[in-house]
Amino acid sequence: MELLIKNGAVFDPVNGIKGDKTDISVKDGKIVNNVSSKATVLDAGGRLVMAGGVDAHSHIAGAKVNVGRMMRPEDSRSGISPRTKITRPCTGYTVPNVYAMGYRYAQMGYTTVFEAAQAIMKARHTHEELEEIPIIDKGALTLFGSNWPTMDFVREKNMDKLAAYVAWGLLASRGFGIKCVNPGGGEMWGFGKNVTGLDDVVPSFDVTPREIIVSLMKVNEMLGLPHSVHLHCNNLGNPGNYKTTLASMELANQVKASKDRQVMHVTHLLFNSWGGTNWGDFESKADEIANFLNNHDNITGDMGQMIFGSATTMTADGPKQYANAKLLHAKWSNGDVELEDASGVVPIYYVKQISVHAIMWAIGLELALLTKDPYKMLLTTDHPNGGPFVNYSEVISLLMSNKKRQEEIKTVHEAVHAKTKLPGLDRELDFSEIAIMTRAGTSKVLGLLDTKGHLGVGADADISIYDIKPDQIDPSVEHAKIKSAFSSAAYTIKGGQVVVKDGQITATPLGRTYWVDAKVPQQHHDEMMKDIVRKFKNYYSIQLANYMVQDEYVSHPQVIKAGAIPVEVN
Amino acid sequence: MQTVTIKPRKEIKISVEAENISPDKFGGKTEKEIQSLVAWMGNQKTTLGELFSVKVEGSGPAADTKIVLEGDFSRVKRIGEGMTAGLIMINGNVDMHLGAKMSGGKISVKGNVDSWAGREMKGGELIVEGNAAYYLGAGYRGESCGMRGGKITVLGNALDFVGEHMCGGEIFVKGNTGILPGLSNNGGKIVIGGNTSRPGSEMSKGTIIVNGKVDEMMPVFKLEGDEAVDGVTYKKYTGDVIGNGKGLLYVK
Ligand SMILES: [Zn+2]
Repeated sequence: MELLIKNGAVFDPVNGIKGDKTDISVKDGKIVNNVSSKATVLDAGGRLVMAGGVDAHSHIAGAKVNVGRMMRPEDSRSGISPRTKITRPCTGYTVPNVYAMGYRYAQMGYTTVFEAAQAIMKARHTHEELEEIPIIDKGALTLFGSNWPTMDFVREKNMDKLAAYVAWGLLASRGFGIKCVNPGGGEMWGFGKNVTGLDDVVPSFDVTPREIIVSLMKVNEMLGLPHSVHLHCNNLGNPGNYKTTLASMELANQVKASKDRQVMHVTHLLFNSWGGTNWGDFESKADEIANFLNNHDNITGDMGQMIFGSATTMTADGPKQYANAKLLHAKWSNGDVELEDASGVVPIYYVKQISVHAIMWAIGLELALLTKDPYKMLLTTDHPNGGPFVNYSEVISLLMSNKKRQEEIKTVHEAVHAKTKLPGLDRELDFSEIAIMTRAGTSKVLGLLDTKGHLGVGADADISIYDIKPDQIDPSVEHAKIKSAFSSAAYTIKGGQVVVKDGQITATPLGRTYWVDAKVPQQHHDEMMKDIVRKFKNYYSIQLANYMVQDEYVSHPQVIKAGAIPVEVN
Repeated sequence: MQTVTIKPRKEIKISVEAENISPDKFGGKTEKEIQSLVAWMGNQKTTLGELFSVKVEGSGPAADTKIVLEGDFSRVKRIGEGMTAGLIMINGNVDMHLGAKMSGGKISVKGNVDSWAGREMKGGELIVEGNAAYYLGAGYRGESCGMRGGKITVLGNALDFVGEHMCGGEIFVKGNTGILPGLSNNGGKIVIGGNTSRPGSEMSKGTIIVNGKVDEMMPVFKLEGDEAVDGVTYKKYTGDVIGNGKGLLYVK
């Protein structure tokens, strides 16, 4: 099948195209140099064309997403749309049903989304949902930060065994990369405790968060994984935590990247850029975080932007969620995944007139506006922690229009003036920068830039067309048009097939699931497995034979090969 | 003044969702227009005209519209949902969700109401001369706020979970109620004329007054001593102490 997209105002930062009228040729799901005269022609009519959106951090599938659904039946009273000839019924806003995840991302012009946290033991559930999410390509990051084998091998300083464990854990979970959430804290939560900083010792394992983070970065590069370590910092959600965040980011200097990307991705920085010592003197330290990023090239972050209204916080950070539930008098679900971390789910409602919420809202925007290079600050809402992903268009329009920001600032708690720098920031991002934060940058950070996030020859034919003529619009003034266009794509093309037209789903092909098959020397694997076998025998509630996600659960796999290579340590 | 009289054309066996029976939807409309409003019977889409005879006298806006329901509406749900003004007079029994989310106007029922009457109500008045079933003035599944304003009066009895997750407004039940009235109450006032059991568990704010007998008290309230409310002396409790709640519970 051939497709020719003509007259598009293309923004493709990877290939240096900034709004030029460029034809895009598509054949067999890929972008090619040219097509025959038989190709279907799609006239973009001067409208904005970008690569399909790529989300590097969202919670779309698996155990805690489903816990969110179960504990929030009230959420499913919104977002209701009946079935059509090709789509299933949809419900929900912060925790939509499985099918809505795929439709709604596609309707925004997104074609690839990564689930940001799965425990190995719960991975089968993640894949059961991923298999049913229509249209988009996807993958899932696997939790390693508080796993008993991780901490044992870190204490033994045995990087070969740790690398073998990560490789085996990725296989067992059909996972894409290393997620590290409040390292050490998930284990301590099993005893009602938490870690408070990088150098707290996790009892019975005698390791510190610092050692866990550095070791995981080392083996990530030993294995040459496409993505870097994906870190949810210690102390998340506590006033004054920016110091822990900066100290964690410093650790990136200890490891050299095995590829052209960061060695550490620090996620949902909105929740980690907090100054003050309590909720009374709470303030933004987004400038310090952005300043650090501006001066370091081995580290990236994402916003985790907050959206006023209903959200559902869900994370492997179990102790944080207990504190949240107490603070908010909210519903609380707690999860313990045996030897692999903890989890918690708590609903929240972000209110414009609550000073802390208004400051948080500003922090996310400050991070994006103060970080000079958009490749270092990806657009996320940490769906559904900061807010549901369907609000990306709101975030884009805020970043593109200072006028809109000033209008919003008038409606939120006055604390944004004294406690943040947002009111004085007049930077307005352009279409190229938005394309980086939502496509090129996310793909680069994930290590998928060869086929995702751009429109060069050889890339996947994932393309979005928005109902904006870039040469005829002033995004600063016409921010409402920007928001409306990015919320509902004129066309979304996935693998060369039109899946959305005028915001409506037109086809529901099944996307692929990315996972990483990393090889390590057999001897390292065998030694590591001795420990694993012992742990299953002594501690796990299930048998090793029942642990691994089978191929049947990943019917459309996209396997990326990786393997042990020597790593240079500074 | 506009008066709209509605009667079932025949006995309704499969439940009907009729949120369009509301002064807001009927105000200023002709018989034909009202007959063409959508209703659902089971999974079948139909119209009010198919199910009910409709008679309109006079014309006026929602605030000047009186709807009279004659006959058996015990399988008709969601009557008066979200209404903001006007009057609904119901001569018999009605099904679930009567006056859910209403913010103004008045609903008066001669018979009984099924569960979730006045659910998440914001304002206006609901008067039931018969009995109410479960979750009177409560929140629907998972909701953190049930009734937020307005007044509900039940002259008969009510079943369990009266005013569950209530955040404001007033509920008066003249007779007895089932277990756990005011469960997770977060505001508002519940007055029970008769007996109940285990009132006010998980209460964080609000007031519950029980004039009859309390079969069983939850052990999460602290006795503060005697206090008179409107000339009547009650034992005053505060709680739920586990959640550091500031709820008030008055028991005779
Ligand atoms: Zn997250």
